Amino acid sequence: MPFIQFILGLSLGVGFFFWKQYQTDRQLRGMLDFLSDETAELASLPVLSLVRREVSRIFQTREQLQLQLQTWQQILEIAPIGYLLLDEDNQLIWCNQKARELLTMDSWRSGTVRLLLEFVLSYELDRAIERTRKSQQTQVIEWQFYSPKTNGKRTPLLLKATCFPLPQQEVGVFLENQQPLVELSQSRHRAKAYLAHELRTPLTSISLVAETLQSRLQNPERSWVERMLKETQRLIELVQNWLDISRLQENPQEQLQYQSIKIEELIFSAWETLQPLAQQKEVELNYFGHECVELEADRDRLTQVLLNLLDNSIKHSPVRGKIRVEVETDRPKTGELTINIIDSGSGFAAADLPHIFQRLYRGDPSRTRQSSDLSHPETLPRDGGSGLGLAIVQQIIKAHGGSITAQNHPETGGAWLKIVLPLE
Amino acid sequence: MLERTTYFQKCLRRLKQDVLRMGALVEDSFRLSHQCLFAGKLELAQEFQSREKRIDQYYRQIEEECATILTLQAPVAKELRILSAYMQLVRDLERIGDYAQNLTEMAVKLFNYPPHPCMKEIEEMSDFAQGMLRKSLKALGELDGTAGETIKHLDDEVDNAYTKIYQTLAQQRNIQGAVEPILLLALAIRDLERMADHATNIAQRVSYIVNGHRD
Repeated sequence: MPFIQFILGLSLGVGFFFWKQYQTDRQLRGMLDFLSDETAELASLPVLSLVRREVSRIFQTREQLQLQLQTWQQILEIAPIGYLLLDEDNQLIWCNQKARELLTMDSWRSGTVRLLLEFVLSYELDRAIERTRKSQQTQVIEWQFYSPKTNGKRTPLLLKATCFPLPQQEVGVFLENQQPLVELSQSRHRAKAYLAHELRTPLTSISLVAETLQSRLQNPERSWVERMLKETQRLIELVQNWLDISRLQENPQEQLQYQSIKIEELIFSAWETLQPLAQQKEVELNYFGHECVELEADRDRLTQVLLNLLDNSIKHSPVRGKIRVEVETDRPKTGELTINIIDSGSGFAAADLPHIFQRLYRGDPSRTRQSSDLSHPETLPRDGGSGLGLAIVQQIIKAHGGSITAQNHPETGGAWLKIVLPLE
Repeated sequence: MLERTTYFQKCLRRLKQDVLRMGALVEDSFRLSHQCLFAGKLELAQEFQSREKRIDQYYRQIEEECATILTLQAPVAKELRILSAYMQLVRDLERIGDYAQNLTEMAVKLFNYPPHPCMKEIEEMSDFAQGMLRKSLKALGELDGTAGETIKHLDDEVDNAYTKIYQTLAQQRNIQGAVEPILLLALAIRDLERMADHATNIAQRVSYIVNGHRD
């Protein structure tokens, strides 16, 4: 009797043991299935070795990931642009070599977390970072950075910062040094202005000599000198225009003499000047303006703008074409004046549109230059297109605080130049 | 990696950030006034009204924050020194901002007169004062206790420059036309000298925070 009881108890215990074992097994397998899909194929192996396998695999991946992280960090560290990482309280968590160099942060040590402002006292950068955090959108700023080390002598760096939002209110910042670009473009402009200046003096004396010769010579020499004189005049004009643009660009305000101008009057007086050209092609001007608009501007400069633009329009209009000039203003709202000049020509080529305001840019050479044509005495383009006309127009409009855009008119297909000027 | 930051530490950090922000803004104002005065960029003068307001806002906000922390947290030792120094320091910063605004107003008036031969020296003086402000703000950021001494020496140089330029202006005899430009320049160097003084004060307050005694 006790023997049966013993057997019964034992089998009950063993039963319990196997049932528990089975349960643990299932739980472990479930967990393994959750971790990776490989274990399903190796289901025949004991669970314990499967668990061991899985743990070592996880360790391996972790090491790999850490290695990858290190590589990325090393790459960032030696990257040619600066990088800053800021936490939610604007503390600097990490920065790379280039950033330390650009912002002269010698006191930064990896591992210590301090406010960015303790290293870099820059109001603009701080604002941009705050804006990025608030709007959760990338912000790009360019600003003059004054290094804390430079004593007395002022050598700011033009830096460009791209701030972008990261998870958990963190912000990352890329820094680029724009200073070399600024210096390069400055020295290029200086060199060109200097060259233009140096060219002007000898050109003036050449034209003087040619003028003197002109009266003393007989044909055919006389006509040769006349040609020379014309070409020299053109070169002088080119050089003068170049100097004008450079001056306007350097200090726009000082070059302007403001006075009150009636725009309608100015447009018609410019058209009057171009009458001979217009009559040749029988081109007509259609003026559309509702009221008599007055604005504050430099009369001579604005006349130059209109002459340039209308001259272009006449050149590109077909015989008996029409040029449409519209003047609009919404004085109470924006205080701006809009002038649209639309010709009836074939418009700008799409490839030229982005470049037409660049200095010395010329559209399709077959249209504007006829130098290869030997029957023509001139070597420069006959229509006087030096490639500076629109550049000078743009500089003058910019100096007035306005803007000019070029496009093709959607209906007529002709060139459409739109000028926006502030009234005061 | 990070030690646990208490609420108190967090408050202090935010306060420090605001003080440094105000410092950056004031330094920027000083720089603008310099460009206004010596590079003839008068268009910058228009910005000053809104700047002045923002500086004032920081000033009041920081002072209030300091008072709140003092009463609610009852800090001791270094933290107490930090708070009392901040309260004084924002006053110095606000004054420098005011002087910068004065300088731009003078620049607008001076623009009508031909440049005075002293301009070069005054520009150097302004550069010097700006360098001092930058150094003392850097000391504040890094809590560098030694800066007070160095900046005091620099202040002596600004004082010397002031005396020298004052003499030149005062002893001028061949005056033609109005005396306004000379008056304005004398006021300008006075302002610059005061700005340098306030910058010195800031550095000395930093020394006080770190060392616990005034030199």
